[in-house]
Amino acid sequence: MRAGLRNDSTESVISLRGVSKTFDGKRKVTALAGIDLTIERGEMVAIVGASGSGKSTLLNLIGGLDQASEGEIEVDGQTLKTLGDDDLTRVRRDKIGFIFQFFNLLPTLTCLENVSLPLHLRGWPRQKIEDRGRELLGLVQLGARMEHLPDELSGGERQRVAIARALSIYPPILLADEPTGNLDTATGHDILKLVRDLHERLGSTVLIVTHDMAVAESCARTIHIRDGRIFQDVRK
Amino acid sequence: MLLRLISWPYARKHLLRMLLTAVGIVLGVAVFVGMHTANQSVLAAFHETIDRIAGQTQIQVSAGEAGFDEDVLEKVENVAEVRAAAPVIEATISTGRGNLLVLGVDMLGDRNLRSYDLEGTDESIDDPLVFLAQPDSLIVTKTFAEDRGLKNGSRIPMLTMEGERVFTIRGIMKPGGLASAFGGNLAVMDIYAAQKMFGRGRKFDRIDIVLRDGVALDQGIAKLRAALGGGFEIEPPSSRGEQFEATSHIYALASNITSVFALFIGMFIIYNTFAIAVTQRRGEIGILRALGATRGQIRTLFLMESAIAGLAGTLAGVGFGILLARAMAGYIGGLIEEVYGFAQSAQSIQVEPWLIAAAIAMGMVTSLIAAVIPARAAAGVDPVKALQKGRYQQLGEGENRLRRRWAIGCAALSVVALAFRSVTPVFYAGYLLAVIAAVLLAPALALWLARALRPVLARMRPVEGTLAADSLLQGPRRTSGTVAALMLSLALVISLGGLARASYDSIEEWMRIALNPDLFVSTAETITARSFVFPASLGDGLRAIDGVEEVQPVRTVRVRVKNTPVMLVAVDVDRVARRAKLPAVEGDSAEMYAQAAAGKGAVVSENFARLHGAKLGEVLDIPSPAGTLKMPVSGIVRDFSDQQGSLLISRDVFNRYWHDDSANLFRIYLKPGANETAVRKAILDKYGSHARLFVLTNRDLRNYVSRVTDQWFGLTYVQIAVAVLVAILGIVNALTVSITDRRRELGVLRAVGGLRRQVRGTVWMEALGVGAIGLVLGLGLGAVQLYYTVEIARRDLIGIEIGYVYPVRIAVALAPVILMAAFLAALAPAESAVRGSLVEALEYE
Repeated sequence: MRAGLRNDSTESVISLRGVSKTFDGKRKVTALAGIDLTIERGEMVAIVGASGSGKSTLLNLIGGLDQASEGEIEVDGQTLKTLGDDDLTRVRRDKIGFIFQFFNLLPTLTCLENVSLPLHLRGWPRQKIEDRGRELLGLVQLGARMEHLPDELSGGERQRVAIARALSIYPPILLADEPTGNLDTATGHDILKLVRDLHERLGSTVLIVTHDMAVAESCARTIHIRDGRIFQDVRK
Repeated sequence: MLLRLISWPYARKHLLRMLLTAVGIVLGVAVFVGMHTANQSVLAAFHETIDRIAGQTQIQVSAGEAGFDEDVLEKVENVAEVRAAAPVIEATISTGRGNLLVLGVDMLGDRNLRSYDLEGTDESIDDPLVFLAQPDSLIVTKTFAEDRGLKNGSRIPMLTMEGERVFTIRGIMKPGGLASAFGGNLAVMDIYAAQKMFGRGRKFDRIDIVLRDGVALDQGIAKLRAALGGGFEIEPPSSRGEQFEATSHIYALASNITSVFALFIGMFIIYNTFAIAVTQRRGEIGILRALGATRGQIRTLFLMESAIAGLAGTLAGVGFGILLARAMAGYIGGLIEEVYGFAQSAQSIQVEPWLIAAAIAMGMVTSLIAAVIPARAAAGVDPVKALQKGRYQQLGEGENRLRRRWAIGCAALSVVALAFRSVTPVFYAGYLLAVIAAVLLAPALALWLARALRPVLARMRPVEGTLAADSLLQGPRRTSGTVAALMLSLALVISLGGLARASYDSIEEWMRIALNPDLFVSTAETITARSFVFPASLGDGLRAIDGVEEVQPVRTVRVRVKNTPVMLVAVDVDRVARRAKLPAVEGDSAEMYAQAAAGKGAVVSENFARLHGAKLGEVLDIPSPAGTLKMPVSGIVRDFSDQQGSLLISRDVFNRYWHDDSANLFRIYLKPGANETAVRKAILDKYGSHARLFVLTNRDLRNYVSRVTDQWFGLTYVQIAVAVLVAILGIVNALTVSITDRRRELGVLRAVGGLRRQVRGTVWMEALGVGAIGLVLGLGLGAVQLYYTVEIARRDLIGIEIGYVYPVRIAVALAPVILMAAFLAALAPAESAVRGSLVEALEYE
């Protein structure tokens, strides 16, 4: 078992208290309003809602990609509001793995280099980085594609690389924003299976933003967001 | 309409980039307008001074700078067509607060030509005989008097050739007319007093003439020529400007080269910006095409955008240029005085309409040429492909190959042109082809170098370095223009730096040989000033001073030979050649000096021979008051005395033809063991109180020559600074675009754990990469350009063979400078890369 990961405790790993997010432009838009939410360690949670409901904003706030306008967010014991930019980055680097809808792989780097990127940023020794990269690409069944560029891969394969990159440091939290949104149904199913499998094997807390109910149904908990508020929180 | 709907929002969104784009044009146009306006202003001031001093003068008779005997006046007056003739002595002196133009005139006759509009009524002026009877009389302008708090009766001391003399102001001219000549820094004195003051003996500088009514100018000139012989210059006052123009020709050429180069580099920045804009706006172009816009409309849209950016840059450049001209005019006036000995300064800036029109045309044409290729690319965008997402940064292999073929073709032709380099147009065409080849090859070479850099950068910083190198590889359109601009500007630095270095070395060697006396006795602080002359007898007095071994009198005057104002140097050739024999370029060294010493030849400088086509043995016509002196070229030597060239002749010949045994300078060699300071003091003790005399040590003179050389190359440094500045702006421009293009990539980097310093690091490394690639290519092209620059200098600019020596030290010094400049250029873009919304960056398309 990897560090930080699989255990049966029920301690909260993510907690939001009174979180709101407004965007100031020509018109003030409230994306999230008064969100209170606790995610326990090892949970696999789906966040669902219509387009523009605020689900991606919620994920961005939890991931430290954006700052809440009001309220407090705590990730693995750290209150994000109190952190500077570099400390926020360290939280992302050490505790969170991201999976994006459009993969966000760097097109000039090979699969192995993309997966190794977060490890290089942490300053790991080269050999250790390479070993970990190969291991992870093997885990997502892309052992034969290590030196390929993202352009040479199919959509599903690119998402696998993105997942391998998200897992490169075995983060306690995995955030996925529409991980199957840009894939066909069969590939999306495969990717979801992979995420679930990794969640079970590695014990990461997984939050998946999706509007695909099939994805939501595969999670133990589903949070419905509507108009920036939690409309429903269902545990199976 | 399309401009308002499509171009304006894009320009507003990328305002900084648009401004940076226009800066290249701004600088190019500003240098062009500034330097030419300053030059024109100094020239206009010179012409204005000539006009105002000329008064009603129709014809002036002179004999170069040397002057002529008083009896020439009588010959002129005897010409029936002459109504009035007035002798003049004209000289500038330094007052410690700028220069004062002193006009020595004969008050009895001069009022026929010039109007002295004096304040109040002063008997002494109203009666010229009274004025004449008082040789200390001086008339000054109101401007000069007010500046210095002087009034009628005030006394001012001046250092004359007879020591310090006190002059009394006996007239103050009202502003306007003659009083406005030389910016109002004018004084008039009696001509016989002026002869004494400037050591002219019984000579005049020139005679100003008014013809009788009904006599045509040509007729008058012909009659005067018949009466005086061929050795005189007989021409209207306006012709005097030609000499000044001829001497400032090299300077004008240098300023043209700078501005054209700045514009050329600016063109690459515009090209770069528009090439990027086409790439970034492919989707927009696709939509326009899908909605029915024709290819012509798209092309016109981009050309219009470029024209507007060019116009804005040009207008700003004209404004900056005029400001620059104000700052430069004083510098140029000083430079021309130091180098050529003509004191002049512009009091106001003359902005010529043709110059503004030419600047606008240059700016606009440059902008349009730069945008032609991107506009054509925009018009050629396939609407279907443009509406698809994907990578479109990379240059097509076909396009690259075609460019490489053209480059190889141009390079081959330039090599062929070298074989026929003696034909000037072929030589210049070859130079142009070599530069075009380099520019065409730059993108491919930049790509190869970026590939070579990748492992190096990756080894230094695995993430930042790899991403920086990849950014260079992925965005050739983004960087190729910048790299080309940097390459060109560094090549300019290497070539001008190499030329300057080699020139310094050559001048140093020339000084070692030619300027080897221990002391120099001069009439002024500088040796180019020729207003005052010493009597020959001073030489005997100097010889008698204890410790002096040898005294060599030197008389220099500017005369017109082969229609060029060259420096005639009259010396005791035997004695000078024994001490300082200049290296021969053509002819036998011993023989050429022997012939010159015997009065049978002139030793001419290499630059005179090259620039004006003088051949060994060719008989030169040298005008003199005693008629045309026909003197064969006995030898050609390497001499840096004068930029227009110099002719060394025997002092005996000069005395015979110019009836002038005076000297501007004495070269003094000391006896072995004599103390330089003691001899200098002895000279000053003996003559300092009753003669205008300056004693310069060998070191003083060398420092002076070095300072003048520095001043001349000061323009080179301006060129270098402008070129490098434009290129650095190019780097800022490319990086500003780069961080926009890489916004998502940098967002990902930050999302997966990249700290701010790591994101900054990758932008810095990209900048260093651009700098390093530009540096390698620039140093390479510099080697080629240096060859052409040395050749152009030899054949068309200075006429002196300067060796090809690659300036290794400059190249080594450039590396840290450019890398540091690239780093500084990256600071703002890097900061902008770490600011802003991460969420937006990740969603950025």
